[in-house]
Amino acid sequence: MKMEIEDLKKIKFFEKFTEQQLETIASISSVKEFMVKEIIFEQYDELADVFILLQGSMSLGISLPKDKRIHLGTIEEGQLFSWSAIFPPYISTAWVMAITPAKVIAIDARKLNAEIDKDCDFGFKTMSKIAQTISHRLSDTRFQLMNQLNL
Amino acid sequence: MTDNTNIYKPLRANLVDVIEESPLIKTFVLIPEREFVFSTGQFIELSVDGVGEAPFTPSSSPLVTDKLEVTVMKTGYVTNIMHELKPGAVMGIRGPYGRGYPVKSFEGKEVLILGGGCGLAPIRSLLFTLEHMKDKLEKVILCYGSKSPTDCIYKPLFSRLNSIDKFETYRTVDRTEEGWDGPVGVATALLDKIKVKIENSVAVVCGPPIMMKFGTIRILEMGYRDDQIYLSMEKNMSCGLGKCGHCMMGEFFVCKDGPVFTYKEIKHNPEIWK
Ligand SMILES: Cc1cc2nc3c(=O)[nH]c(=O)nc-3n(C[C@H](O)[C@H](O)[C@H](O)COP(=O)(O)OP(=O)(O)OC[C@H]3O[C@@H](n4cnc5c(N)ncnc54)[C@H](O)[C@@H]3O)c2cc1C
Ligand code: FES
Repeated sequence: MKMEIEDLKKIKFFEKFTEQQLETIASISSVKEFMVKEIIFEQYDELADVFILLQGSMSLGISLPKDKRIHLGTIEEGQLFSWSAIFPPYISTAWVMAITPAKVIAIDARKLNAEIDKDCDFGFKTMSKIAQTISHRLSDTRFQLMNQLNL
Repeated sequence: MTDNTNIYKPLRANLVDVIEESPLIKTFVLIPEREFVFSTGQFIELSVDGVGEAPFTPSSSPLVTDKLEVTVMKTGYVTNIMHELKPGAVMGIRGPYGRGYPVKSFEGKEVLILGGGCGLAPIRSLLFTLEHMKDKLEKVILCYGSKSPTDCIYKPLFSRLNSIDKFETYRTVDRTEEGWDGPVGVATALLDKIKVKIENSVAVVCGPPIMMKFGTIRILEMGYRDDQIYLSMEKNMSCGLGKCGHCMMGEFFVCKDGPVFTYKEIKHNPEIWK
């Protein structure tokens, strides 16, 4: 299913995007649905899409030896995940699983990279938002680590 | 207030109930020998005869003056002994001391509260106050994180607040357990999902120092000015009266000038997050 511009406008990630830039996003993305407990991708999978969660909620975690999974955080509506899809080696650093029925927008990462190269303004807005996502993830992980270590 | 003749003499209070909130946290319900008036965010020195005293912020409503609730986390010498006390014991109260939350200035605004761990104790008192003045507020949003679902205190408080008009609450845990189906992650991650009109809002942060630091940074990043953010500082104290200097943080006596400060007032202080 294709994404409509009006729906993209409601997503915080795209709040500063122009109409034309939203059209670009719509042309390289699609809507996908997942069932409860469905794995979106595993840790170390090669990634083709960047996702933004539209509906539902997902769990993000890391895998340990002996098939043990650690649940690190919850992805909420409006949040971006799978950012590793636009950076070499395009390998996921975590697994993501749907914990409720979920709907996501899947943006083709190769095409997104091509658009970033073509249009500086589009590239800057996209990368600023992705940098913010990574920065939040990093500071949350530090905070969580300090909590676990009782610091 | 405390007896005027001796500023260090505590008021006697009967311990009538002890509520186990989590494995390390208990709420002590006290009936003071006479009316005890405080404003939300102010603190008291609570004592056990022959053992010692420690500062705590009452977790009950300031509108109730014949009963006082204090929520205590077991961390060391005095608090370990407090946790052994049973109903029927007598405790001592000095105070109230310091400057609490300027709730009058919250009128007409949206109040965002970020809390972690035992920081929900002073916040509960603030929430009672905000509930009382809710007609004068736009909205109250509580984001609270605990280490695990078992460590979350005042569990019934959340559903009660969610049923009150203008109140929204969000909870998360660092580490999940059997039966928990809410979000997992640190308290600051909850800030990504709330909707708040920042220009007409104030933010209150209360919790362990590490949460205060990460929380304040994230709130600044959301666009709050440093004079819109209120922090409740917990520094080691002794007299509670601005006399001994134990609680000094730069030019401030936390016991007298605080414990509630705006981030603007203390942001340049090198000891702020220590
Ligand atoms: C204004 C204020 C309000 C507070 N409100 C609450 C509350 O509502 N609930 C709650 O559980 N705790 C609260 N605290 C913290 C509480 O005062 C300490 O946990 C308590 O003093 C520890 O005493 P102790 O003898 O059991 O620990 P100790 O054996 O003395 O020390 C154990 C740990 O507690 C810390 N600590 C010791 N004394 C203090 C002190 N005076 N202030 C801060 N930290 C200290 C030490 O650095 C050490 O890490 C508050 C502190 C302040 C300053
Ligand atoms: S505790 Fe003595 S001056 Fe503040």
